[in-house]
Order: sequence, then C-alpha cells, then structure tokens
Amino acid sequence: MREGTFEALRAQLRDAAATFADGPDALEGILLGMVDDVDRALREPLEIFPVCHHSPASAIAMARRLREKRPRVVYLELCEDMAPLLPELRNCRLPVAVQAFASEVEGFPADWAPLSVVAPITEASAEYQAIAYALDTPGVELVLVDRSSDHVFQWLPRQEPGGGPVDPDAPPVEEEAALHGDAVGVEIGDLRPRFAELEEHLLRHGRVRHWSEWWHQYVELPLGDADHDTYRQVMILIGSLFRRLAPGDPSRVRVDEDRERHMWTRMRQHLAASGVDPEDCLYVCGAFHAASRVAEFGVHGADTFEISPPSGSRWQHGLIPSSHAAIEAQFGLAAGSVSIAATEWAKNLRRTGVRPFRLAGQAGAKKGGTSKKALAPARAASTAAPPDRLSGFLRRPPVLDALDEAELLGWSVEIVRAARRNGYLASTADAIAVFETSILLAGMRDRAKPTPYDFQDAAVTCIEKDTVPGRRDVRRLVEIMMGGDRVGQVGYDALPPLARDVHDRLAPLNLKLQQRGVQRALLDIASRPELERCSDVLWMLRYLMPHGAARPIMGERRLGERSIQESWDLALGTHQRALIELGYEGVSIEQVLEQRLRRTAYDPHATTAAVLGAVEDAILYLRSRRLADELGTRALEVLATERSVDGAPEVLRRVRRLLAYYRTNEPVLPAWVESFVKTGYAHYCTLLPTAFTDEDASVHQVAAMLGFLFSMESLALSLGCDRHQLELAVAQSHPEEPSKVALLWAAQTHLGRLSRADLRKRCDDLLGNPLVLPAYPSYLSGFLHALEPVPGLTDFVVEAVSNAFARLPDPVLLPWLTTLISTLRAGGSELAPLLIREAGRIFPGRLAALDAWVPPWRAARPEPAAARQARRASGGGGSALLAAHPETCDAVARLLGCDGAWETPADGPQGVALLSRHPDTAVALEGLLAR
Amino acid sequence: MSDMLRAPAEIKYAEELDWLESVDDGPKPFAWRLSPKMVRLFILGSERADGLDREISQKWFGDRSFVERSIVTLASDRGLLLIGDPGTGKSWLAELLAAAICRNSTLVVQGTAGTTEDHIKYSWNVSMVIAKGQSRESMIPSPIMTAMETGAIGRFEELTRSTSDVQDALISILSEKYISVPELDSDNIVFAKPGFSIIATANSRDRGVNDLSSALKRRFNFVRIPVVTNKKSEAEIVRFRTEELLRRHQIELDVPPTLLDVLLQSFADLRASAAAAGSEDEKLESALSTAEQIGVLEDAILHSNFFGERALTARTLASSLVGSLARRAPEDLAILNKYLHGVVEPRGKEEGGAWPEFLEGGRDAIATLS
Repeated sequence: MREGTFEALRAQLRDAAATFADGPDALEGILLGMVDDVDRALREPLEIFPVCHHSPASAIAMARRLREKRPRVVYLELCEDMAPLLPELRNCRLPVAVQAFASEVEGFPADWAPLSVVAPITEASAEYQAIAYALDTPGVELVLVDRSSDHVFQWLPRQEPGGGPVDPDAPPVEEEAALHGDAVGVEIGDLRPRFAELEEHLLRHGRVRHWSEWWHQYVELPLGDADHDTYRQVMILIGSLFRRLAPGDPSRVRVDEDRERHMWTRMRQHLAASGVDPEDCLYVCGAFHAASRVAEFGVHGADTFEISPPSGSRWQHGLIPSSHAAIEAQFGLAAGSVSIAATEWAKNLRRTGVRPFRLAGQAGAKKGGTSKKALAPARAASTAAPPDRLSGFLRRPPVLDALDEAELLGWSVEIVRAARRNGYLASTADAIAVFETSILLAGMRDRAKPTPYDFQDAAVTCIEKDTVPGRRDVRRLVEIMMGGDRVGQVGYDALPPLARDVHDRLAPLNLKLQQRGVQRALLDIASRPELERCSDVLWMLRYLMPHGAARPIMGERRLGERSIQESWDLALGTHQRALIELGYEGVSIEQVLEQRLRRTAYDPHATTAAVLGAVEDAILYLRSRRLADELGTRALEVLATERSVDGAPEVLRRVRRLLAYYRTNEPVLPAWVESFVKTGYAHYCTLLPTAFTDEDASVHQVAAMLGFLFSMESLALSLGCDRHQLELAVAQSHPEEPSKVALLWAAQTHLGRLSRADLRKRCDDLLGNPLVLPAYPSYLSGFLHALEPVPGLTDFVVEAVSNAFARLPDPVLLPWLTTLISTLRAGGSELAPLLIREAGRIFPGRLAALDAWVPPWRAARPEPAAARQARRASGGGGSALLAAHPETCDAVARLLGCDGAWETPADGPQGVALLSRHPDTAVALEGLLAR
Repeated sequence: MSDMLRAPAEIKYAEELDWLESVDDGPKPFAWRLSPKMVRLFILGSERADGLDREISQKWFGDRSFVERSIVTLASDRGLLLIGDPGTGKSWLAELLAAAICRNSTLVVQGTAGTTEDHIKYSWNVSMVIAKGQSRESMIPSPIMTAMETGAIGRFEELTRSTSDVQDALISILSEKYISVPELDSDNIVFAKPGFSIIATANSRDRGVNDLSSALKRRFNFVRIPVVTNKKSEAEIVRFRTEELLRRHQIELDVPPTLLDVLLQSFADLRASAAAAGSEDEKLESALSTAEQIGVLEDAILHSNFFGERALTARTLASSLVGSLARRAPEDLAILNKYLHGVVEPRGKEEGGAWPEFLEGGRDAIATLS
C-alpha cells in the first residue's frame, strides 16, 4: 500500500486488529499472516480479481482490467448451474435476479420446500462487467465455478429452517423490498466483518452510521481511481483481515472453505480439460475468498476435494425482477446504499472516462456507444496512464472539485424542489442552508467532500420540521433523488413459456402488461366475443396469482353464468416474479391450475366440501367436464370415508349449486352426481341419529344434513334409495339438546309423523311450564335452523317467534335476542327473507290496523266456518270467471297440445248436484277444517 | 463548585474544557471557544483513535449524527430546535453544546404560559426609570439579549409552552440578529455579535398546544431526539447519571448490575405494553423515558441510603418504581398490578434472581397506594 490515500483505512484496520487480537503477539501474527495472504494471492499464476458486492470501485477496476488483460477465460464466483441463463440478461432491464427454484424436494427436509436461490445482478457491479465482457467478446469463455444451487441447501445446517429467525422488531417489508420472496440470496463478493463487535468497532471509529457508509468512505472513495495493483492489494488485505480477525460462526466458515475448494477444483478441471494457459484467465471472486488458506487454493493446489453429487430435487431456472430495495433488504445493507452505489458508478464513469462493458442490446440501457466502440480509446488510455495518474491522484489535495461542487449544488436545489412537491415549506434559503450544512458536516466528519450520506443528513437537518406533511419524509426523498429504488424487469424473451403464453393470450387487451403499476382492462365480451378467452385467462390468473395481480372490478364468474362485460385491475408487471414462478410449475396456466386442483382434491386431509369446491373451480375456470368428473368421483370417495358432519352445510351448498348447474346445462346428470346424491342420502341417514345426540355436531350442521336429505329426496328416491331409511333414521334420533329437539320435531312434521296441531300444542306446553320456560329460546333457535330443511314451516316459525315475544318474560327473552339476530345473520341471505316475507303476510301492514288485529293462530278456530258460509253464499264465482275469460285456459291448452273445445254448461247448477251426489269428501273436509 | 447543588456544565467540566481549548488547533467558526470537532469530542467522549493525551468522558448518549447535525446548525445562521419526548436528554444536550461553544450555558429563558415578550427582549427597572428616565442603565436585558451582546448561545427551554405571539418575537432576533429599543432615542439597537445563536427545546408531547408559526419554523433547524430504546446504551446512560448522582450526594452505595437489569427490563416491558395498548387508559401516563428510569433509581438509592439498610434491594426498587409511575389513581395502579402479576410473577418463577423480591416489593407498594 502507498502512503496518503489509504492512511485512514490503514489506521482503522490497525486499530481494529489491536483491539480484537489477543495481545501483541497475536497482533503480530495477524499482521504477518495478512502479508502472507496478500503475497500468496498475488503470486498465483491464475490472476485473482477480488471484488466486493455493489462496489462501483470494483466495477471500474474490473472494466479497466478486462480491457488491459483481455483474458480468454473468466471464472466467476456464481452458482455453476445458473450459467445457461446469463445470455438472457440482455433481454432484461437490470436489476434482475437469476433464480434457481425447486418445488419438488428430495433429500431435504420437506418443510424447506420450495427451495429457491436468487443471485441479483445490478449494472454497477463487477460481475456484470465480467459477464458482459465474456458474453460479447468472441472467443472468451465464461465459467461459473461456485457450488450449485443444490449444494447451497446441501451445505445448509439442517436445524435451520430455510432462513434465519424472523426479527420481531423488523419493520414490515415494503412491496419493492419483498421482490425476492423468501429465497436464499447468494452474492458475489460478500465482504463484511463476520462478527458484530468488529463491525461496531469499525463503525464507531470510522464515525459512520452503517456498514455501507464505512465502505463508501474508507474503501470506495480512496479506491475510486487506484491502479490495478493497489486495488488488488487493498481488497485482498481487507478480505484477509476480516478472515483472520473474525472467523465468526464455524459452520459458516466451513461452508466458505468448502466453496473455495469447490471453485478451485472446478477451475483446475476446466484448465486441464481446455488446456488454456492460466495466465490467460481471470478468476473473479469476493475479496474474502481471495485470501483463502485452504489446501486446494491455487492452480497447483491439492486435489483432495470431492464434490458431492446433487440431491434428487429437480431444479428449474429463470430470471426474476429484482430491485435495489430488495437487494438491500436481503443482504442487510442500509436503505439506499445500492442506489447510491449506482449513482456513484455513473459519476465515476463520467469522471474517469472508463467505458463500461454492456451486453449488446441490453434492455433499459441508455443510448450510447457500444462496448466495442468503447474498447479502443480506453485501451489506449490505459496503456499510457497508470503510474503517473496514480501518483498525481495521491498528491492531489482533498478539495471540493468543480464537478463535485456543481453536483452538490444540483442536489441541494433538487431536494428543495422535491420537498416542495411533497408538501414541505422549503425555499431557496433552504437550498443554501443544505449546501452549507453538507459542507460543514463533511468537514466535521473528516471528509474531503460531502458524501451522499452527509448530504442526506444536511437535508434532513434543514428541511425536516416537526411533522411530515406528505407521504414521504426528507430522508426518503433524498433516497429517491439519489436514483431511488430501481426495479428491474425481465424481458419478454427471457420469460418462461407459461408467462410468454399469458402475455400472448392477453395481447387482445392492448395493454402494456409488462409495465409496473395497475392497469385497467375493460372487456366488452358482448361486442367482442374474442375477449372471452382473455377473460378465461384472467380468472385463472386471479385464482393462481397473489392478491392484487388480477382483481375483478366488475363481473363475476359463477356456475352457469356468462359475463357480458368485465373490468379488471391488472398488475402483472408488479407481480412478475409470481408469474415467472408459476412458469416453474408447468407450461400453461391450465396445466398449473389442473395440478393445483388435483393437489387440493387428493390431499390426504381434504374434506368433501373442499373437493366439491375443486370440482366447481374445474367447471368455472377450466370448463373441463373430464376433470370435474374425475374430481367428483374423488369427492364421492372422500364422502364415503368421512365420519364427521362438520362440512355438511358447505357440502349442501355446493351440491345444490352443482345440481342446479348440471340440470340446466347438461342433458343428463353426470354419473358421479347421481352416485353422490345416492351415497350422500345413505351416508347422512346413517349419521343422523349420532349427529342428533353428538355434542360436537352443531344444530346448523344437523339442519344442513336434514336439508340434504329432504331437498335431494326426490332425486335420491328416483335413483333407488329407500325412504324407510330416512324414516328409521329420524325415528332413531333422540336428541336432548332443546334446539335439536325442535329440529327433530320439524323433521317429523315434514315426514308427516307429527301434525301441526301437535307441534303447536307442544310449544304451548313449553311456554306454559315455568320449569322449561328458560330453555324455550333454544327451541326457537332449533326452529329457525329448521327453516333450511323444512321451508314449509315458515308460518309456524313466525308464530312461535311471535308467541315468544308475547309470552316470554324479559329476563329470558332479552338475552336470547342477540342469539336470534346472530343466527339470522349467520343463516344470512337464505333464512331472513323467508321469515320476513311470511311475517309481512301475517302482520298488519299499517299501525292503525294493529289495534284491531288478532293473530291468525288465535283467530283460527272460529274463522273457517264463517268464511265457508260466506263463500258458499256467494256461489261459484270461480267457475263463472273462467267462463268469462277463457283466454288463459286456451293458451295453456295450446301450449300443452290439447285441442278440446269449451263445453257450454247445461242449465242448472251441475257442480252442486255433484256435491249432493257425493257428499263424503265435503263432509270429511268440513270435519277437518272445523277441528 | 462545592457550594452549588448542581453546577452548570461549563463549571463542572471547566478543567476538561480548558484543556480541550489548549489543544484545539482546528478552525473555529465566529467566536467559538472550541472547534466543531472538539465540541463533538467534548460531548461524545474521546476514542483512542483521536490521539489525545487524556481521556474525555462521554456526556451525552445517543446517535452521533444528532450531535453533529446540532453543532453544524449552530455554525450556520439558523437556530437549533431540539424536539423529542420528555426525558430524552434535550436540555442536557443543549446545556453541553452551550457550555462547549461559549462557556456559558446559563442564558436560559424558560418557556411557560406566563412567558412574555419582555422575557425574550428586555424589561425596565421601574425605580431607575422613575429616578433617571429610560436609558441603557435602567434597561434589564433578557438572557437572549445578553447572549446577543456577548456573542454567546442563548437557550429557550420548552419553546412550545409559551404562546405564539411570544414565540414570534424570536423571528426578528433570528433573522435580523438585532433588537431595537424604541423607547431610547439613541443607542437604541442591540446588535448580535458573531457567535450568537439560539438553542430551543420543545416537547413533542406538547404538540398542538402552541404550534410554531411557519415563519419561525423556517428559522430553526429541527433535530428530533428519539427515546433511547437500545438496551445497551440505555444501561450506559442510567449508570452514568446514577454515578454522578451518587457522587453529588456523597453516597457510597453499590448498584448491583442485576438490579440495573431488572430496572431496564421492567421499563422495556412497560414500554412494550404501552405500545400495544389500545386506548390512553391502558397506557401509563408516564412517558417511560430514560430520565424516568434514572428518577426511579435515584429515588430507590436515596431511600435505601437514608431509611434502609444502606444497600439497594429489589424491594426498594419496586416500591420506588410503583411510586414514581402510579400517577392516576385507578388506571396506572391497575396497569402496574397487571404487569406485576402477568409478567413479573411468571418470570420470577422461571428465572428467580431478584424478580421474586421485586414482585413482593411492588405488591406491597400497590397495596399501600390503593
């Protein structure tokens, strides 16, 4: 190292070494060891190029070195199985992440599934320079040498469930920061102290707040223009120091060393196979690995490492969008640091004149000279300049140069404008204050020029007041201004077939669905029938993708209905990762959906209701009779083995819906539906007596069972079921709970085993008996539930409820009211309208009529005789009407295909004559009514 | 110094300040006694890397950038407003800054509902006015005016407690940097000397009582001091302040580290429960700041020293915790009771240590109060 620029860094490292080494001997050992490490790495015939992640200095040094050396082979520290994807990077807007994904796991604990590894790649990184150089220069080979994604998990300690423990104090993850999902991140050049105390020490003594700032100040800035030798020495030195001082977690060290063994073994294998001279190669790895001491290190290292075979898991690879925020969140970097690195990179490029490498046709790149064009002048400059420029740089006094001052002024003006747009009362005076404060702060922190971090502090000091007027505070505004979060995008060509297919099929919508943000799609299916296929795709996406990716605003999909118009809020660009990950499951969304439905249906814990739900979805989304039949048969199997009645209400609801659908849309019922009704009838008959007495089965569930039995009865009987079975089941039921008793009475009434009069009498008895009076509300609840299986009992239920209101004492009635309301609410749309309609029929419509009103059940007894009398007196008005207006009858007759003519009645009352001839019916009826 | 109950920072640390001034070779803005870096060093303490011959102790605990931003603000032409919850060390930081920059931290105006413009500008010695008429001799300058005249730092405590019209008297002082005295015919303008600035403090809990006008806000840089939640630095603060207190009272008493942990943990628990509380009634009225922790410990120490067995026990700590935090009769007591039985009791059974005794002390104290 030379004197001057790196003095501060040297002081920092020396100080840290002195603090953490155990005594002076150890310190000497460490220092000597570090020298050895550097020496060893530099002597290696295969040139080692140490890098650090998100370090623009590394990227610049890399670009320079590649131009100078023009290696034939570039070895890169990146999972070796990711190689085939790298050419696709040119179709994407960076940052994106290379992802390896395995949904079917073999050889790992089952709860780790799905396995996912991501390696984010930004433009301002050394690895991108290496990739771009290698892929776009003819005759250059890029070899990824790090362990495969499979090994990432193979070498993970087994007790660690996927990731580390979740920090309860951690702030909620923002949308952009969650772009990687819960994937394990791998990164090239992870260089950071491995134990917290060392990091804290460095931060404290460096007078910085976080690691990114430390790196920026003590390494990045001094290294900005350093020559290749200095750069390598410094980086290896830092790597060596961290390694020697702070080994950290032993299992992590073991993994690191295994990775180094793996990389060197692979490199030696490649060298042997290709016969390339090591001098013509470049090995790009993290500075941490450059200072490796494993025996396998080097071209002539030991060949003792055995690479373990991969597990049986099937890995799929793809590119997913990434963002600066996601990278920062995943690798524990300070918010905004990756953005600042990107800004710094752009600035360094301008200042140093280095032309970076860029993949030809890179999406999202600014228009400008191609890398090939850039090559020539840069090479000329690099051969001439190095030694002189370096010494010039070292001798230059640390002053604010013109470029920096102009930039700082620009920033100050810009942040004031941004603050004003966000509701702050900021003015030009603030811009001046920010500028001044930045310089003062930098001076105070021993910095030659204000860093973005100083500027951020200054802006917060001068502009932030006691409240934040808008959505963003000044700190965030500065972050946005410094380049903000950049979200990458995977280009169409780099998408998996499924995602491309989705975009192709949605093309008729004429929306730019690749873009981020929510877009409104309007589908007028009535006028453009071809849009119906888009609608199908959208409904499937809604089922498969996370909430918000496709959200219907208008229109719904229900069995047997077809939309005429739909409108959707689509955010496929925002949820690109989810769509890409769907691509790992199959080649079309139909296939993925079918797999998912099958998985739901064949889950060992699946319930009948869930399987019926899958059947419904299969019809709704896939319109697949074949799959629906298959899943329906599965539902039958599940039903036969089910011993609880928990799902009965749901089963009833779904079966009714499916029956209604099949009856209206298919000529005959599918075989499985018939079997299901038959089996269900027998099944619920069998379970009925136990359900009535079982404490765990609620009234609601038993009512649903009865509902199934009564409403499917005609179909079941037509298919060969026996009604006796039901009658026996009801006869065997002896519930004790009042609500279930009431339910049983309702069932008996429905079956004709209990007359209305008896039922009414039983209720009267209950009300008359002070000992059971408190339980009366429970009986009423039972009757309410009975509305579902026995809707004909509605008038009686109204009567019972009215009686309860009239006769129950307040201490019993009032507490029950809440139960009544909640039952009606839970029964929801079905029960309440029934009751209300019936009550509206029975009760007087006007308040005035209430005084004179007598409930029909009280007035019932005297009424019939008088009414009959009156009707009899008025004569046969009905038949006269029929003769006077024959049109209706004629129409019905025509419809029925009956061509009879009207007969004119003979003179004299014929009907009455009939009555007198056959009086028995009338007498019996009169007896019945008079009762 | 010995006959002062509480010496201001510039007297207390006079020797340290003298020494720093003697070794300071950095550029000093205006008439500052120390350069900004030395001010920071005085407040945050020295590191070995600073290469000083003697150690400077840390006096204020908190994020380094707050101190840096404050110092830089004072070097610019804006006033400094420290804002934060009660007990976060705003006034202490203001005092240290003033002491380090101009060796005078006593030019203080206390903002109250009764503060008038006279307290900020000047008032008259009525008997002298009657005897000699209005002149510079019969004028009583306010601390702020004195600060202007001497190029020192003036302090305004609890700025938001004073009414808006009084606050606005600061606007012209901060922008024009002079006060005119219209009652005098000549020599009627008092100009501020270089080095003059104002450090105000405001309690964020008082927000909305007397909001600052935008004109005044513009003339202040706001530095928000958060409540310390980092357990490690909080322990350091409590230890530092307690030692100081013990020294002041000349009490020789050990604070066992386990008891310090008990105190810190119980405050952390209570803060967590306050954060989770739905309504004001479920929260303790106290802000549970570090200053309050120090208050609890101080109370316990004094109690054990004068009434107890001259040794701090968990029982005393608990009773002083209950005594300091129970301010509203039923609500606060109920919360503390819930805390003792819901958190401390199970912890005592599980971990043992000082917790069971702490529980007992707390119970007794609640029983006495209710």
